[in-house]
Amino acid sequence: MIAASVPTVREEFKALSPAQFFARYREIAGFSNPTRALYQAIRELVENALDATDSHGILPSVKIIVRQDSENPSHYVITVEDNGIGIPPQHVPQAFGRVLYSSKYVLRQTRGMFGLGVKAAIIYGQLTTGKPVEVITSQPGLKRIYYFKLRIDLQKNQPIILERGSWRKSRDWHGTIVSITIEGDWSRAKQKIIEYIKRTAVITPYANIVFVAPDGVVLFYKRNIEQLPPPSKEVKPHPHGIDLEFLKTLKENKNFKTVKDLLINSFQGVGEKTAIDVLILSSIDPSISPSKLTERDLVRLAETLKAYKRFRAPKADALSPLGREIIKAGLRRIFEPEFVEAITRRPAAYQGHPFIIEVGIAYGGKVPMSSDDGPILLRYANKIPLLYDEKSDVSWKVVSKSNFDWSQYNVSLPAQLIVLTHICSTKIPFKGVGKESVADVPEIEKELRLALREVARKLRIYLSKKIREEEKKRRIIVLARYIPEVARNLAIIASNGKGDKVDGILLEKLSEIIARRTGADPSEIIMVAKQVEVGV
Amino acid sequence: MPSKVDLEVRRRGIKLFQEKFGRLVKRILECKPPTLVIPKRTLTNTIYDERRRLLLLGPEKLRRSFLDVNEAKKFAQTTLMAAIIYEALINNEYPTIRDLYYRGKHTIRYRDIHGKIREENTWDEQRESDAVIRDIEVYLGILREELLILSKEKGKVVGNMRIRSGGDIIDLSKMGHGAYAIEPTPDLIEFIDVDAEFVLVVEKDAVFQQLHRYGFWKKYKSILITSAGQPDRATRRFVRRLSEELKLPVYILTDADPYGWYIYSVFKIGSIALSYESERLATPDAKFIGVSMTDIFGDKNKKPWLSPQEAKNYIIKAKDADIKRAKELLSYIWFQSKAWEKEIKIFLNKKAKLEIEALASKGLRFLADTYIPQKIETGDWIL
Ligand SMILES: Nc1ncnc2c1ncn2[C@@H]1O[C@H](COP(=O)(O)OP(=O)(O)OP(=O)(O)O)[C@@H](O)[C@H]1O
Ligand SMILES: [Mg+2]
Repeated sequence: MIAASVPTVREEFKALSPAQFFARYREIAGFSNPTRALYQAIRELVENALDATDSHGILPSVKIIVRQDSENPSHYVITVEDNGIGIPPQHVPQAFGRVLYSSKYVLRQTRGMFGLGVKAAIIYGQLTTGKPVEVITSQPGLKRIYYFKLRIDLQKNQPIILERGSWRKSRDWHGTIVSITIEGDWSRAKQKIIEYIKRTAVITPYANIVFVAPDGVVLFYKRNIEQLPPPSKEVKPHPHGIDLEFLKTLKENKNFKTVKDLLINSFQGVGEKTAIDVLILSSIDPSISPSKLTERDLVRLAETLKAYKRFRAPKADALSPLGREIIKAGLRRIFEPEFVEAITRRPAAYQGHPFIIEVGIAYGGKVPMSSDDGPILLRYANKIPLLYDEKSDVSWKVVSKSNFDWSQYNVSLPAQLIVLTHICSTKIPFKGVGKESVADVPEIEKELRLALREVARKLRIYLSKKIREEEKKRRIIVLARYIPEVARNLAIIASNGKGDKVDGILLEKLSEIIARRTGADPSEIIMVAKQVEVGV
Repeated sequence: MPSKVDLEVRRRGIKLFQEKFGRLVKRILECKPPTLVIPKRTLTNTIYDERRRLLLLGPEKLRRSFLDVNEAKKFAQTTLMAAIIYEALINNEYPTIRDLYYRGKHTIRYRDIHGKIREENTWDEQRESDAVIRDIEVYLGILREELLILSKEKGKVVGNMRIRSGGDIIDLSKMGHGAYAIEPTPDLIEFIDVDAEFVLVVEKDAVFQQLHRYGFWKKYKSILITSAGQPDRATRRFVRRLSEELKLPVYILTDADPYGWYIYSVFKIGSIALSYESERLATPDAKFIGVSMTDIFGDKNKKPWLSPQEAKNYIIKAKDADIKRAKELLSYIWFQSKAWEKEIKIFLNKKAKLEIEALASKGLRFLADTYIPQKIETGDWIL
């Protein structure tokens, strides 16, 4: 028998523009609901502001204002102002109106990387409130300030400019002010947003950050160090980090006559000798033109590049670690700890991607109490705070009590203890698309552990010194407390009516004896002894 | 005006303080850490001297350094007590141990490492200051009685004897129905004359009074003493002086039970708690005259003093605590003689004890004219 009726569905084919895609799947970019969206939008604007300043040698001043729309209480106007390099006016419409348009598509560590962030926020605003984005910007050296009001044509993935203008600068201002209106839920998002701002402030002690919340609360984090992290440089890819697709695009490069020259000029760490070596290993004649490479050549070349052991390690020039002083200043600025230390490890690499691990530690002072199973953990990847999925992050794995013997370092948990971890890399191995937790790559885990041991060792030295000093002080007080008593009593027996004089001499001598034994200053002990009141 | 003996004793005490604590002061003036070296007053440092038959302090010493945080307070307490006693000696006072506790009790106010004001008392309970007094006794090698420190004493004495105390001459044979309360400072007593052949120490005050009224001491030319239970230091010292200075034999009459035996051993060889003073308090020649187990039950070459019917009437069933105590006594080497082991074994066997009062109720005459004199005459005692 033949099936009587198979329902037939006619398949229709359509193209989806990147803008439409993100309008439809906004949760991928973090805009799943009004709470998350408010948080995510602030993040995107703040991170762009910081990218425009600290990676360009400018000490950032960032002002974030979140205002509730008086007409519609579920609408919020987010305005972020920076003192960065600004945007060339001719690029503004594309940078804010076209998904996948960015100045950061190069191998260089920045916070942004996809060319998506601000657009996702604009699209979300457009869909929920219908309001356009407003941008005011000027670059250093320009005489004018430029103003744009635009929305995104989702279908075309193109900006629609609603208004534009410019005026002369009256003062030497440069930077960018971006303002969007989105649907949000401040009361629910508040805690996360404040946490985000605070954590950002921890690793940007060189920035002035002002945050004005819809309820009027103002947070101000004042710059406490005038030093910026070293700027990162753009680098060529390392041969361990590429794949077949990359080789295919390379092949199209018409600038080089031979495959050998192509390799030398397209990768870092590949010289004449290495290039020939690799090509011979791949059974490719180094002198042929790149256009002659067959598909099978490329497959073999890709395999050789992956397996070849003698490349120089990936260059870390593209990375911008914070450095010890900045991390310490940041922890100090927020937590006023009694002890703070930080370390920047030497560059390492995983799968051809260079990375640098930094770990900071803060103890005591205003540091809050941790939980029983590990210190308070502040995670960062390329200077971005990671707030979600802490327990699945490689950093937690390294710092938690079950994997790190804190008691060996004179710390008994819970304690007023913070560990800050910062991973810089041209490619952060995030777990999943959420960009919230880092996968446990063995090389990264190892570096984290080594870094943690080093700072924890310094903490241990500090703590044991502190314990020793307190012990010494305590000892001095225990002993000095009885000096007046002993001096007076012995004077009664030893003197014939000259009690007072003998008393004073004995007090001094006893202080001196204790000083000698404890290594303290006799006058300090006499002072403690004289503060003691006997017979009250 | 204190008597000559009194002044002499004071002078000796003052000198001792100046010597021993003066050494400490000298060390301090030389900037050397002051340390008190004191014989240890612990059970493990108590040894039984078999030859002299005394419980003595062993050779172990305790170094109480002022620089040792765990000892600093004790060190300060020791100097405090020393100063108070020293002042009392100088000022012709007779403080009691309670007085000393109050005189030394005060607050030390100091700042802790966080600058907070804290308070600490030199001592809180009399137990503490009493312990410090004992430390001073062993440190100076002198008894507190010789430092003219008083404590409540309960021993009594009568007999053909005259003594001088505090400038008065007292005739111990003219006490009426009362008795002379042995003073807390027996070393200040001067023996003037004595007409007695032995000393009888009775554990029970009631039996002492009965024997006194009966005229026992007159009839048998003796000195009659009671410790009224556990003997205090003054009574022991007094008995010791009678034995040592007047060469009188000392007989001790206690209940027939482990507590009675222990009282006897305290008179004879000293107590564990105060072994350091045995040398001056113990009477090694003291003899346990009764009541012994064989007096009650007899043995193969001795007839019991009580008829089976009387024994049945008078003996009391031993309690668990008595049994336990008896077993403890067996573990002390000074009870590990043949006679004592026999005594204790009979007790453990019969689980019976007897009070001296029982013998008195058999007839005071029996006790005073038969039992005691005959036992002394026939040498029926235990050493
Ligand atoms: N405040 C700003 N100052 C200067 N340039 C900016 C600013 N905000 C955005 N831009 C420019 O707009 C571009 C697009 O920003 P967008 O946030 O969409 O992407 P991105 O930051 O490059 O990457 P990501 O999607 O990871 O955020 C940036 O690459 C940058 O050149
Ligand atoms: Mg961005």
